[in-house]
Amino acid sequence: MKSFNINGTTLSLALYTDVTNSKELLESMQAGTLEPEVAFLNALLIPDTFPLLAAAHKTLVAKSRDSLTTRTLHSELVYNYSGSKHITESLKRCGISDSTTYVLAARFDATADEINAMEKLINGKEVDLEELEGRANQSQIQKHYKISASELGVSSLADAITCRIAARDAL
Amino acid sequence: MGIEADSRDSSLILLKQGAEARIFESSFVGRKSVVKERFSKKYRHPILDSKLTLKRLNAEARCMTKARRLGVCTPVLYAVDPVLHTLTFEYVEGPSVKDVLLEFGSRGGDREGLDDIASQIGDAIAKLHDGGLVHGDLTTSNMLLKCDTKQLVLIDFGLSFTSTLPEDKAVDLYVLERALISMHSSCGNVMDQILAAYKKSSKQWSSTLNKLAQVRQRGRKRTMVG
Repeated sequence: MKSFNINGTTLSLALYTDVTNSKELLESMQAGTLEPEVAFLNALLIPDTFPLLAAAHKTLVAKSRDSLTTRTLHSELVYNYSGSKHITESLKRCGISDSTTYVLAARFDATADEINAMEKLINGKEVDLEELEGRANQSQIQKHYKISASELGVSSLADAITCRIAARDAL
Repeated sequence: MGIEADSRDSSLILLKQGAEARIFESSFVGRKSVVKERFSKKYRHPILDSKLTLKRLNAEARCMTKARRLGVCTPVLYAVDPVLHTLTFEYVEGPSVKDVLLEFGSRGGDREGLDDIASQIGDAIAKLHDGGLVHGDLTTSNMLLKCDTKQLVLIDFGLSFTSTLPEDKAVDLYVLERALISMHSSCGNVMDQILAAYKKSSKQWSSTLNKLAQVRQRGRKRTMVG
């Protein structure tokens, strides 16, 4: 578990491998009974924390203006990370599915109790965030974000994702 | 569990002010950043003003990221705020090409470095133009050289637009040529080197350079007689 400060709000992140209960997590999330509310992301698409922090920044700005596109703060984070305007597709690809085993969990302004509860929710092995880069699926990322080889000549994968997250609404 | 990234994100230091925007230095979730704020023009009708500002803000974000997709280095875009009319992007550490050329002009020095800069400029413009993007404000102050890698970074896409017309591309090059002649004539013929690199990289160099010859004769504006 690691926390990041984004303009006074914290974002707590924890990375899990070998997750066995993603089906239940998905069901309780869709039923709205997940306690506490947490964002689960498909960590294969996350090569670094920075693009996620950029998405979180965007989420918090939208929240402060009461202009969330999705229903909750945490689903908005998943949607923003996708860099796409298609909500269902975004949640499907960047969120978790029944069979996901590699998950990044995120929560805004988590209290110590909530962090404990969050850790109990997930059946898996927590690993260090440093492992994101090595475990990311580059070809899946390039396909999802439409990143060409010529762009990777001048940019890292994480920076290319960040640009797409930031520019989405300008397109 | 440790807390990372500082919370100074809101502190802004004014770097430059132009006619269309102010440039601030700030930080964005732990990274040094630049904020470009397009301010409102009080002499315009408020509705028109906000529409124009927003349109230009979005166009700039689009063109900057399009340039990256074409393989031209531009600052990483961090955020677009349509309410505050701001763009936040990566802070690029390094001098502008203008400063490097002025330094060379007054003191002389590394000729090889200059050759490398010229070929990088030609190559970058060729990539933009072949991808159908016209920068619109190619001057040496809108080009930076990264300190560590000496990589050329193009900035300020505020006047950029998409076009495949040789006319627009030729004017783009012509603007750069005029800027080089007026600012950096003591550096020798940098423009020829730039055009040589352009010719090497661009598949459509021939129509653009033919057009450039015409533009040179009549200037940037097209004559609209008859």
